[in-house]
Amino acid sequence: MSQKGMMPAIEVEGLRKVYRHIVAVDDVSFVMYRGEAFGFLGPNGAGKSTVVKILTGLVAPTRGTVRVLGHPVSHRETRKRIGYLPELPTFHRWLQAGEFLEFHGRLYGLRGALLEKRCKEVLALVDLAGREHQKLGTFSKGMMQRIGLAQAILNQPDLVLLDELVSGLDPVGQRDMRELLRRLKAEGMSIFLNSHQLADVEALCDRVAIINQGRILKVGAPHLLFDEPLTVEVRVDAVSKQLLHRLGSVALAVKQDEENPCRLLVEVRNDEATADVAAIVHECGARLYSLAPHRRSLEQLFLRTIDASNR
Amino acid sequence: MALLLITRFTLQEAIRRRLFLAVIILSALLLVAFIILLSVAINLFQSNSSANGGTLSPQLFLLSGGVFFDILMIWLVYLLSSLLTIVLTAGMISGEVEAGTFAVIVPKPISRTEIVIGKWLGSALILVVYTALMFFAFLAVIYWKTGYWPPQSFSALGTLELGMLALLGLTTMGSAFVPTIVNGAIVLVLFIGAPIASLVQFVVQVITPAQSQVLQNIATVINLIIPTDALWHGTSFFLLPSEDAFPILGLSTRNFNTPFTSTQPVATALLIWVAFYILVLPLIAILRFQRRDL
Repeated sequence: MSQKGMMPAIEVEGLRKVYRHIVAVDDVSFVMYRGEAFGFLGPNGAGKSTVVKILTGLVAPTRGTVRVLGHPVSHRETRKRIGYLPELPTFHRWLQAGEFLEFHGRLYGLRGALLEKRCKEVLALVDLAGREHQKLGTFSKGMMQRIGLAQAILNQPDLVLLDELVSGLDPVGQRDMRELLRRLKAEGMSIFLNSHQLADVEALCDRVAIINQGRILKVGAPHLLFDEPLTVEVRVDAVSKQLLHRLGSVALAVKQDEENPCRLLVEVRNDEATADVAAIVHECGARLYSLAPHRRSLEQLFLRTIDASNR
Repeated sequence: MALLLITRFTLQEAIRRRLFLAVIILSALLLVAFIILLSVAINLFQSNSSANGGTLSPQLFLLSGGVFFDILMIWLVYLLSSLLTIVLTAGMISGEVEAGTFAVIVPKPISRTEIVIGKWLGSALILVVYTALMFFAFLAVIYWKTGYWPPQSFSALGTLELGMLALLGLTTMGSAFVPTIVNGAIVLVLFIGAPIASLVQFVVQVITPAQSQVLQNIATVINLIIPTDALWHGTSFFLLPSEDAFPILGLSTRNFNTPFTSTQPVATALLIWVAFYILVLPLIAILRFQRRDL
């Protein structure tokens, strides 16, 4: 058992991968826990895909250790409990969707009625029911993503690794996939999500790792990664000198809107300080019309972190 | 068993791909065309021989012709099987890597060794069956029309299949190291290079009666690198009639001591080397594929 009493799903320590003379991943260490949705974020060329490929045994690390569900990546029994969908997957185009799933199900060791049942279930889950006899060569990009996800969850894995899941999907498809991932997570599946879709990561993931130039910059719950000031927009009926003075004592900075003097931008340390702002407005006798924290998105955090590391 | 699953998948893929279907249709057409041509040729011969007479009876002449037709058509089978081997298997591993299809197979509970052996086995089965079918189909047609059936037909098929498996070993190994197109080009050049080396050796020996040790050594090295041509010579030997039948059929061993045929069986040492070759090259492919980043 590890931190928080949770079992690790993925343990990576001191991971390094060098392709000829190019360092793709350097000294990467992190732990993902079971039942967790873990987001892996980074710009193109950051080393995200290399890490995923190492986790799935497609690429061998130059140095470092990787354990998946408590075992080395090569452990055959562990591989039966893992699902993987690569980015923009390519499959054998001559196969029919049903044959494709049957082949992958058999690779997982599924047979007979169970295999047949799972094939039907996953096709329905990814909204491809009735397409069993359609050749993969006739599938659209989005359908390829869906059938790819179907093969990744065919074995009801404990851990599923998804590389840019929604990249080929239309908005409806993206929404459906998000819903499906939420359901799978609720059912206890551990999800490792390598994605550029920051909104997806923010909505689904319990924790996030940000990687750039082969190194992990930050790991943590999205809300805990926000160690920067929070801006709160305050609208009142009138702004007195006392109000400005009192707000100045609890805030990091207070700015009064020149065009609308009743609008203030108050920079505070955290959410608790927002409550103090409301109390001060009330104590100073002003009427509070609105108090709106400017939500700091994961995207902002991501961009700031990447920019800072590139400097 | 995951290995057999890959074998089955390889068989399924080969059958479903249009290339294989095209080869089967063309082979069938070739066989039909050969039947027609052979029938026409025999009819012409029979009408001429009855008019002109000859040293051999028409029946013995037909048998004698059957020997030549056997060698010619089985050489064609050798050529077709070899080309099919190269085309079908040059991308056995590299093709899947290039297409990205291994990305969802390799992470599954299956070892890379099983993947390579499974694919090799599937390809070998297809090629062995295709070669055997074509071999017996042409022999049967020639027997039907001329009455000649080689006394050592199974040995002939054996050496033919060994040549095809040797080529398969080479394409398997190459596909673990280099891209499909490069692998196909290398194997094709080697495959064509071996008979050219035999031809050069033959021509030089005709021009200069003294034996050239250097040429002999070069030929030996080429046969070690790619033993297909040496094995074909072995096949051609097994297609000949028994030694006693040669004078009866009006044949001489000189007729068959050519750059493309032989009156000697394949040396045992070469057969041992071929067995080693067929086993070791796929093993090298496995070792390489195990270390390859995908």
